[in-house]
Amino acid sequence: MKLPDTKEVQTEFKPKILAFCCNWCAYAGADLAGVSRFQMPTNVRVIRVMCSGRVPPELVIRALANGLDGVMILGCHPGECHYSEGNYLTRRRAHVLKRLLSYIGIEPDRFQLRWVSAAEGAKFSAVVKEAADKITALGPNRWGDKR
Amino acid sequence: MKATSEEVKTSVKKLFEDGSIGHFIGYEMGSDSLRVTPCFLKSGQAASRLVWNPLCANNLSKYLLDFGKVEGKVGIMVKGCDSRSVVELLKEHQIDRDKVFIVGVPCSGIVDREKLLAVLGVSPGEVVAVEDDGDAFLVTIKEGTRRVKKEQVLRGECLVCRYPTPVIYDMLIGEAVSSLPWVGDDYSSVKELEALSSEEKERYWSSELSRCIRCYACRNICPVCTCVECIFDKKAPRWLSKASDVSENLVYHLVRAFHVAGRCVDCGECERACPMHIPLRSLNKKVEKDILELFGYTAGIDVEQQPPLTTYQAGDLDEFL
Amino acid sequence: MAIPRIGVFICHCGTNIGGVVNVPEVVEYAKGLPYVVHAEANLYTCSEEGISSIKNNIKEHNLNRVVVASCTPRTHQPLFRNACADAGLNPYLFEFVNIREHCSWIHMQNRREATEKAKELVKMGVAKARWLEAQEEFESEVYPAAMVIGGGVAGMSAALNLANQGFEVHLVEKEPELGGRLLNLNRLFPINKAPDELVESIVKAVESHSKIKLHMPAVVKAASGYIGNFDVSIDEDGQETSFKVGVIIVATGAQVLKPELYRYGKLANVLTHLDLEQRLKDGELGEFQNVVMINCVGARIPERPYCSRLCCMTAIKNAALMKEINPEAKVYVLHRDLMTYGVEFEEYYRKAKEAGVRFIRYTPSKPPKVVGTKKVKSVKVYDELMDMEVELPCDLLVLATPLIPNDDNEELSRMLKVPIGDGGFFLEAHVKLRPVEFATDGIYVAGTCRWPADIRESVAQGYAAASEAAIPLRQGLVKVEAITATVDPRICKGCGTCVLVCPFDAIELKESKIRGLEGKIVAEVNAALCKGCGLCAAACPNRAIQQRGFTDVQLLSMVNALSGKR
Repeated sequence: MKLPDTKEVQTEFKPKILAFCCNWCAYAGADLAGVSRFQMPTNVRVIRVMCSGRVPPELVIRALANGLDGVMILGCHPGECHYSEGNYLTRRRAHVLKRLLSYIGIEPDRFQLRWVSAAEGAKFSAVVKEAADKITALGPNRWGDKR
Repeated sequence: MKATSEEVKTSVKKLFEDGSIGHFIGYEMGSDSLRVTPCFLKSGQAASRLVWNPLCANNLSKYLLDFGKVEGKVGIMVKGCDSRSVVELLKEHQIDRDKVFIVGVPCSGIVDREKLLAVLGVSPGEVVAVEDDGDAFLVTIKEGTRRVKKEQVLRGECLVCRYPTPVIYDMLIGEAVSSLPWVGDDYSSVKELEALSSEEKERYWSSELSRCIRCYACRNICPVCTCVECIFDKKAPRWLSKASDVSENLVYHLVRAFHVAGRCVDCGECERACPMHIPLRSLNKKVEKDILELFGYTAGIDVEQQPPLTTYQAGDLDEFL
Repeated sequence: MAIPRIGVFICHCGTNIGGVVNVPEVVEYAKGLPYVVHAEANLYTCSEEGISSIKNNIKEHNLNRVVVASCTPRTHQPLFRNACADAGLNPYLFEFVNIREHCSWIHMQNRREATEKAKELVKMGVAKARWLEAQEEFESEVYPAAMVIGGGVAGMSAALNLANQGFEVHLVEKEPELGGRLLNLNRLFPINKAPDELVESIVKAVESHSKIKLHMPAVVKAASGYIGNFDVSIDEDGQETSFKVGVIIVATGAQVLKPELYRYGKLANVLTHLDLEQRLKDGELGEFQNVVMINCVGARIPERPYCSRLCCMTAIKNAALMKEINPEAKVYVLHRDLMTYGVEFEEYYRKAKEAGVRFIRYTPSKPPKVVGTKKVKSVKVYDELMDMEVELPCDLLVLATPLIPNDDNEELSRMLKVPIGDGGFFLEAHVKLRPVEFATDGIYVAGTCRWPADIRESVAQGYAAASEAAIPLRQGLVKVEAITATVDPRICKGCGTCVLVCPFDAIELKESKIRGLEGKIVAEVNAALCKGCGLCAAACPNRAIQQRGFTDVQLLSMVNALSGKR
C-alpha cells in the first residue's frame, strides 16, 4: 500500500467558517446535533446571538475581509422566530448582502443564510457538512488580507 | 419652458420679501465658468448672485442639516435627484418639513466637467458658458459656440435618471420634465459586471479599490450619510484598521454601500467627490437594482413609505432553505 | 473599565470532553491569551469542586472576568453565573464557551482538529470576555395567575395543583367536556378499573374549585408578552375574552392515529383499540370468538419512527379482557417488540399469557395479511419462531395505533413561540434537565402533547409543570436577563430605524432630558418591553443602540479572534 504524500496532506485546504447561530433555534439545533453525536467536519465555529437579526452585515463583511473562508447565519424557520419577525428582517438583509458580495467577486456559497430549528440536529450537521464541502471546493477566500 | 437663472433670482427675491423664507441655499458661479458653487443667502438683495444652469451638480440637501436651529424657513433649490434625498432626510426625521421651503427645478441633465473638456479638447478657462438646448448643450468657447450631444458629456447618474422633475416641492420653477429621451436600461453597466466570473469581478474591484485613499469624501458629501458619529470614526470597536490595504478599503466601501441601501437616490455626489475616480455609483446601483427586484422599492419617492430593510413580507423570496 | 483579569476554567466533563479534546493543551494555550491571569482544568466544572474552584480563584487571583469552556449555556449558564455572583463578581462578567456539544461530541474521530478548534473557541470566548460589562437585571412583576391549555388529565392535574396552592387558574378546554382522552377509555392498565371514578373525582374537583376559571369550549386565539406578563385572548363559545396571566402550561394532549392499513374503515370488523374500548363502554361489541390484535400499526416506520409506548400495554389489557369476557375465545396479539417495562407491567403481561392470550412476533418485512372481502375472515402471519406462515381465524381485528400530535400544535407553537420537535410533538427545553419547561421562560409543557405518556405519567407531568410554574408565581418578581438594548443619546441621530424594526414597540423617539442634550430627539428603550433580540442594534447605522451582552465590540472581537486579528 502506498502511503499518502505527507506534503500533500499538510497543504490540504481546510476552510475556516464562522456560523452565527440564534439562541432559540439554530444554537439549540447545534446542541442537539452534539447530544446526538452527529459527527461532522471541524471547520465551523459558532458565535451565539439571541436572534439571527442581531447579525449586522458589517460583521459578515469584516469576517470575510479578515480572510475567513465562509460565514453562515443560522436562524429559526420563517414564522418560527422567537421574536416573531427577526429572521424575516435577516432574510431581507441577507438577500441584498449576498448579491453585493457576489458583485465584488465573493462566491455566493461563502455567505449562507440557513434555517435550522431546535429539533433539527441532523439538519445542522448536514448544513455544516454541505458548507464545508462547498467552501473547500471554492478554495481560499481571495479577499482576505489583500494588500 | 425651462427655468432660467433670471426666474430663480426673481422668485427667491420674492420669497424673502413676502417672509416665506429667512435663508436660501442655492447656486452661484464658482472659480471658473465651468464651476458653480453652493451659496447661502440671508436676504433678497443677495438673490442676484443665484444661477441655474447645466453645471449645477451639487446636491444641496445635506446643508439643511446645518440649518436646524435657525429662525424662519430655509429655502433650498433642488433638482429631481436632490428632492429625493430631501424625502429621505424627511423620512428619517433629520429635517422638519415645516422648516423648509423647497424650490424645485426640473432638470434635463448636468454636464460632466471632465467629459466636456475632453470632448472639446479645451482647458476650463476657455469655456465662457454652457446652456441647455434639448438633446445637446450649447457651449460658448472663445472661438464661438459648439453644440455637443448630451449623451457624450452628461454625468453618469443623469444618463439613467428617471426623476428629472422634483418629487417634492413648495414651488416649481419651469415646466416639469417627465422623462429624458436618452434613458434606457438603468442597470446595463451593473449587468455587465454581474456577468463576469468571480475571479474577474475580484480583479476588477481589487484594482478599483486599491486606489482608495480613505479620504472619506464620498461619505462626507453623501446626503443620506447623516450619522452623528460614523462607525468608521469610532475608537471602540474599530471596524477598520488604519492600514489602507485593499481588504480594509473593501470593508469601508461595502459597509457604506450597505448603510445607504434602500436610501441612496443616485445623486452621484460620492463619485463626483472621489479624487481617485473610483466607480462608487456602481456599488450603489447594484444594491438599488437588487432592492427594486427583490422588494419593489425605490428610495426617495414617498415620505410615508417604510424603508425596505426595516420591514418584510412573509412571502419574501426564500432561497436559503 | 478596570484592566481585565480573566480566569479560564476548562472542563473535562469526565471523558465527554477530555476523551477527545486534549484539555491540558487547551489550558496551556489559554494561559497565553491576552488578559488571562489564570487557567485550569476541572474534571467537572459544574461539580461542587469545580464551582468552589471558580469562587476561590476569583478571590485568589482577583479575577474580574470568568470564562468556562464546557457544555452549553442553554443549560449551565445560570449555574456558573451564580457561582460568580456568590464570589462577589457581577454574573454578567461571565462568558460561556461550548466545547462539548459543539466540539468534542461532534468530532470524536478527529482529536487533533477538535483540540485546535477548542483552542479557537476558547480564544473567541476570552476575546469577548475582555469586553464584558457588569449589568443590573431588570425586575418585573409576575401577574399571579396561570393559564392551563387543555382539560385532559395532565391539564386538570396541573390546574388543581396550582389552584390548591392558591393561584388563580384559567383552564382552557376546546371540547365541551373535561376529561380528554380518558373519556374514551373502557379500563385503565394495570389496575383494570373503569376510568369513570377517576374522571369524575378530578372533574368535580376542577369544576367546583373557586380558584379555577373554566373556559369551555374555548380555544386560545392570541398570546403575547413574557414570563409574569402574558396577555391572552381566547374564543369561548364564539365570544372573545381576554385575560392576563403570569405563566402558561401547555397540556393539549394528542390524538390516536386512524390508520390506512389492514383495511381499517373498509371492513366492519377492523377496529382500533380506541374504537374497541368505546364499544365495550357502550355495550355494543357483540359476539366474538377469534380475536387478532396487531401492534405497531403505523408506528416505528420510516415516516413515523417513534414508539408510542402505550400501545403494548393497551393491547395486553384488552386482550386479557377479551378472554375475561369470553374465556372460550381465541385471542392472538401480533407484535414486533413488546414493551412491558417495570415490575407491574411485566406482571400484567405474564397474567395475560396465563389467561390464555397468545403472542406471536412478526417482522416488519413480512407484516400480517388480512383475508376476507366484506369482513375479516382470517389473518395470515409469518411466525418467526416457527419459521412458517400461520393463518389465524379472525372475527375481530384490533389495531394498536400510535398517539400522534394534534393538528393545532403548529398554530399554538407559533402563537406561544415554543418549538415543535420531530414528529410534531412539542419540544421541551432539555430532555433530561428541564423536562416540563419550554426554553421560553414562563411556559411549561405536560402530558401527551409532548410525547406519548400514560395516565400516571401525565398526572406526574401535570404536577411537575405546576410546581415549576409556581416558582415565579410564588416569587412575585422575575428578573429579566440583562441583554436588553441601551441607547447612547450622544450619538443617536433620532432617525427612528430602531423604532421601525423593533417587534415589541419597545423603542420610542423622545426629547432627551439628559444635560447638554436637552430637546434632542433620540431613541429611548422601555426595558420592560425589550426582549433582547438585538434587531435594533444590527439596524442602527451609527450603532448608537447596543444590545447588552452582545455588543458590537464583543461580537467583533470574537470575529477578529477567530481570524487571527487583534
